[in-house]
Amino acid sequence: MLQIKPILSMLTRSKSGPLLLLVQIILSVAIVANASFIIKERVGLISRDSGIAESEVFDLTIYNFDDAIDPNKQNLIDVEIIRNLDGVKAATSSSMTPLSGGGWSSNFTYGSSEEDRKEAPNAALYYGDEQMIPTLGVKLIEGRNFHPDEVSSGGPELASLAIVSADFAKDTFADETAVGQIMYRGNIGEQPIKIIGVVERLQSAWVNNSNINRSVILNTELGRSFTRYLVRADESAIADLKEAIPAALHEEHPNRVVRGFTTIKEHRNSSYRDHELMATVLSMMVVLLLLITSLGLAGMVMFNIERRTKQIGTRRALGAKKRDIVSFFLVENYLICLTGGGLGALIAVQLGQQLMTLYSLPKLELIYPIVTVAGLLVLTTIAVILPAQKAAKISPATATRSV
Amino acid sequence: MLSMKNISKVFKTDLVETHALRDFNLEVNEGEFVAVTGPSGSGKTTFLNIAGLLEGFTHGDYFLDGVNISNLSDNKSAVIRNEKIGFIFQGFNLISDLNLAENVEVPLRYRGFSAKERKVRVERALEQVGLAARMKHLPTQLSGGQQQRVAIARALAGEPRFLLADEPTGNLDSLMARQVMELLEDINKAGTTIIMVTHDAELARRAQRNIQIVDGQVCDFTMYQSGQTDNKTQSIADAVSVA
Repeated sequence: MLQIKPILSMLTRSKSGPLLLLVQIILSVAIVANASFIIKERVGLISRDSGIAESEVFDLTIYNFDDAIDPNKQNLIDVEIIRNLDGVKAATSSSMTPLSGGGWSSNFTYGSSEEDRKEAPNAALYYGDEQMIPTLGVKLIEGRNFHPDEVSSGGPELASLAIVSADFAKDTFADETAVGQIMYRGNIGEQPIKIIGVVERLQSAWVNNSNINRSVILNTELGRSFTRYLVRADESAIADLKEAIPAALHEEHPNRVVRGFTTIKEHRNSSYRDHELMATVLSMMVVLLLLITSLGLAGMVMFNIERRTKQIGTRRALGAKKRDIVSFFLVENYLICLTGGGLGALIAVQLGQQLMTLYSLPKLELIYPIVTVAGLLVLTTIAVILPAQKAAKISPATATRSV
Repeated sequence: MLSMKNISKVFKTDLVETHALRDFNLEVNEGEFVAVTGPSGSGKTTFLNIAGLLEGFTHGDYFLDGVNISNLSDNKSAVIRNEKIGFIFQGFNLISDLNLAENVEVPLRYRGFSAKERKVRVERALEQVGLAARMKHLPTQLSGGQQQRVAIARALAGEPRFLLADEPTGNLDSLMARQVMELLEDINKAGTTIIMVTHDAELARRAQRNIQIVDGQVCDFTMYQSGQTDNKTQSIADAVSVA
């Protein structure tokens, strides 16, 4: 028997305790729903698959200080030295390291004539050679890779071929195939760049970018006095290569510095550290809030049992079964929880709107307040059931005693 | 109606055994108004609790309406309390957060009556005690006598076979006590069996039968005074020098 009406009457006449609990539940739902949503967003960002063999790929940078060195030629020599070392599976020079936090991006235009030129979305820009794809371990899903003789060495304006990520292809050409399309790079002249391949996934350097998977690889080794390389090797060989690569490069030319040796996995950990910290702190806050709310519920029930000992005895004397007493406390607290949960859900949506405006967060999905209220109902049951069962054991003879 | 045979109740602690009732025998017929008196600690409340199925007993047999209710389950006891017995407590035991109608409705809800049936019974019971006009009031807005009348209405609403009253006038002044007693007499005249525990000798005299409990045993002075007593009652009566 639910006894909702008399319980509501009792709650409305004995306001202070239930009101405090109600406020606590409203705040808990509003905060927990939004915090859970933010945690899910952050975890979603962190768990995005880069498509890269992150533990096997590391970067290094060679800084040449000898002005007599021709960087275009030296880069070709250096990459060959690295590729020939034991344990190295593939290596390429690269304008940037995925997930590292810093790198290149560019706008592109495309279209058959100048009048028809359309803007392609901004994309991360990788300059590299035919070993870029095997080095990163990304999957070519359409077209082909660069041939070695198609890779030029020099300035960025030399790029003539491109391999693009599937996201870039879809965002630019929609349902049309990207392979064979001609595009032009933003402000670097009017050199046409032909798309010859599409990779399934290639992330950029910036983990906070919502379009992290929009990337373009161009067929050019940039000739500069400092050059970054991406190297893929067996995980077990990386420690030895940290010694072997500088040694081999210094043997070829001593007047330079070799630094880096950071795996993509380490870059990932570093780039997502703030997100992880945020998710951890918010998770702890959610657990703490739910714990405090549960304790509040259990405390309120225990206080009410203490306060209502005689009333419970009287109810038992008047014919209440033990299950009626348990159900009385459960229904009473479900009513508080549902009222608080409903109001909390409304405030959660409002709070979500504010967070969306102030911090450019996505809109709070309604399922979060709903699941939070459902979770609170479960917690209410857990917090209330034991004290309520204890209350049900109060003897009906209590009604005739002075309590 | 009510028959207790050799009922005993023993409270045990690690060190002490207390016999609250010993070989307690009592027959109450339908329609009787029985007053139960006795000194403090004599076992009156224990008798009332056992009679009202509020607590169990150690030995003996208890028949209510011809049914042996010894060793009943907790649920079955609750059903019998709800359907057959009306309780009136010394401290009224009204729920302060519920209005009069809601208070009277409490046992009816446990009985599973429909809302319509509850409403009819609540109005009838409150009318019977003269408080129908105040059914939306809270207990704290009433005098002690009025509160006890609400408690009586609550006991009557389920139309029980008998009423158990525990010092029903104990917390009332003499005027209100008289009014409550008159109400109980009217209820009894309408056919409801009443067992009333009281300290008040004057009220006890107004009952049809006066039982005194001494040291956990019963002494029926009505029978004693009419010369029909047995040896046990004779010896208890002599010991307490009441006759």
